[in-house]
Amino acid sequence: MTTPTGPLGLLRQQRGHTVGAYVILAVGAVLWLFPMITAVRASLAFGGPGNYLTVLAGTFNGVSLPRTFVNSLIVAALHALIVCSVGSLAGYTFSKIRFPGRESLYYGVLIFLAVPAVAILVPVYWITGQLALFNTHIGVALPEAALTLPFAVLLLRNYADGIPDELIEAASIDGAGHGRVYRLIFLRLSAPALVNLGALSVMWSFQDFLFPSTILKDSGLTTAAQAVQTIQSGFGPTPTQTSQYFAALVLLAVPALVLVVTGLRFITSGITQGGVKE
Amino acid sequence: MTSTTSRNAPVAAASGTRPARAGQSRRTRHRGRALGTALLFLTPLLLIYAVYYLYAFGFLAATSTTRTTLSFSEATDVGWENFHLVLTDAVFIRSVANNLLFAAVSIAVALTLGFFLAVVLASGVRLRRFFYAVFLLPSLIPLSLFATVFGRMLETRDGAVNATLRTVGLGALSQDWLGESGPAYAALFVLLVYLVGLPIMYYTSDLSTANTAVLESALLDGANTGQMYRLILFPLLRNTHKTVILSVLLGSFRAFDMVFFSTKGDPGGRTGITGTYVYNAMLGEGRVGYASAAAVVVLVIALAVSAIHLVIQRKGQ
Repeated sequence: MTTPTGPLGLLRQQRGHTVGAYVILAVGAVLWLFPMITAVRASLAFGGPGNYLTVLAGTFNGVSLPRTFVNSLIVAALHALIVCSVGSLAGYTFSKIRFPGRESLYYGVLIFLAVPAVAILVPVYWITGQLALFNTHIGVALPEAALTLPFAVLLLRNYADGIPDELIEAASIDGAGHGRVYRLIFLRLSAPALVNLGALSVMWSFQDFLFPSTILKDSGLTTAAQAVQTIQSGFGPTPTQTSQYFAALVLLAVPALVLVVTGLRFITSGITQGGVKE
Repeated sequence: MTSTTSRNAPVAAASGTRPARAGQSRRTRHRGRALGTALLFLTPLLLIYAVYYLYAFGFLAATSTTRTTLSFSEATDVGWENFHLVLTDAVFIRSVANNLLFAAVSIAVALTLGFFLAVVLASGVRLRRFFYAVFLLPSLIPLSLFATVFGRMLETRDGAVNATLRTVGLGALSQDWLGESGPAYAALFVLLVYLVGLPIMYYTSDLSTANTAVLESALLDGANTGQMYRLILFPLLRNTHKTVILSVLLGSFRAFDMVFFSTKGDPGGRTGITGTYVYNAMLGEGRVGYASAAAVVVLVIALAVSAIHLVIQRKGQ
């Protein structure tokens, strides 16, 4: 990888800066990887690499690990789909359609940015029961989407504001209504933002523990983040079983790791695009 | 990171051009039609909001004045009793204080370590992307996993932390990390340090567009490294500091998993936060009315934080 040039590179001309930088980064990297290295070492301590096969093949408290990956993926995909479609419709509306009360409604949507999942957990439990959504993937994806949508609307409106109004107006003169402009022009132009938002939505859904653990009671539907807790009592206190539990933890991190390694660019762009504007 | 994600460009275009003037009646009709289209486009969003926020808040408020269980049958009305109990419960007050304390620690870590690491990464070191990914990793994988591994590392008898301390001859420093509140706090603070990824993202992104040319003259004037960081780069990123502080504050109310999977609020709920408090009342003790009252209080605080965020954001524009 080439080193970027630019004024910040001048820091390297300072005496000792480069050496100091590498020492700090190396020590930091070791410390930051320490928990992961610990987990991998603990997983191999008793029983060796075979632990991974045992854990992959078995079920623990009725939970099979490969199955949790599938469940996590389904919930994450549903979540990303709802967030991107509903969010882009709203982002387009708040940016490109002029209607009375627009700004008030926009801020009314954003006010829920900091609502914690646990604060609406009691009503979500009740609502899920009323809508017969217990033990369904969509039952988890919907409340997750409710929590992500304020951020999504913020991100997509900001992005839409950067698309020149002239493009929309030119299409309107050609007789295209908002429906067609949205589908044919806006969705295409906002694709980069939607990819970022999609990657973020998948990541946030992978991270969610609260909603799956209260809504998905059926062990066949357990998600990866939820399995961290549900499989715990499936392993005894013997050294081998403890090692196997760590092997399970390492495996449960794999989908998130793959996503982070492949989608880091999109995740970073998405987070910073949705940041507070100065 | 890429040039397409310049963060400042879109805002300038926000207060766009007004439509060309037309006859008053035609405009009114036009606006009426626009409102119809807008509401149509917003229907899915408003539906989700109506169910999971508006109806949910109403239900929460109604439940908060009752004594009930998760079956929600046979609720008895107890008036304001739950709120009285919540607001006079020392553990609840402590959980709110912990929330603020953890947010303050995160902000301090972000403005020092986060800022510093981002600048070092941007100064043209090799393997930049590798280091970047390593520092972000704990923030991006599920917290339930990271905090569980972390909690296991802190176990008194055979946890990795005490074992490492013994190996390097610092056995005297080994602790009953989760059994006493001092070490438990220390453990959570360390966990917060590990979650420095988000601020690094913001700083890295803004450093790539910031005008750092002023460093050249500083170099000619003989500034040393410390001065460059403290006197030039730190003030240069003051807008990013604001972004970082607000996002960390917003996120801190959603940090349930961090505590739940590491210390579980032990010992005796002293390291708990509002999230674990409500969760335990609801699913641990089954006191759903009481949990709702606590949730209402948390909600009011969270909405206030959101509102402050929006006011600051609006002023900035």
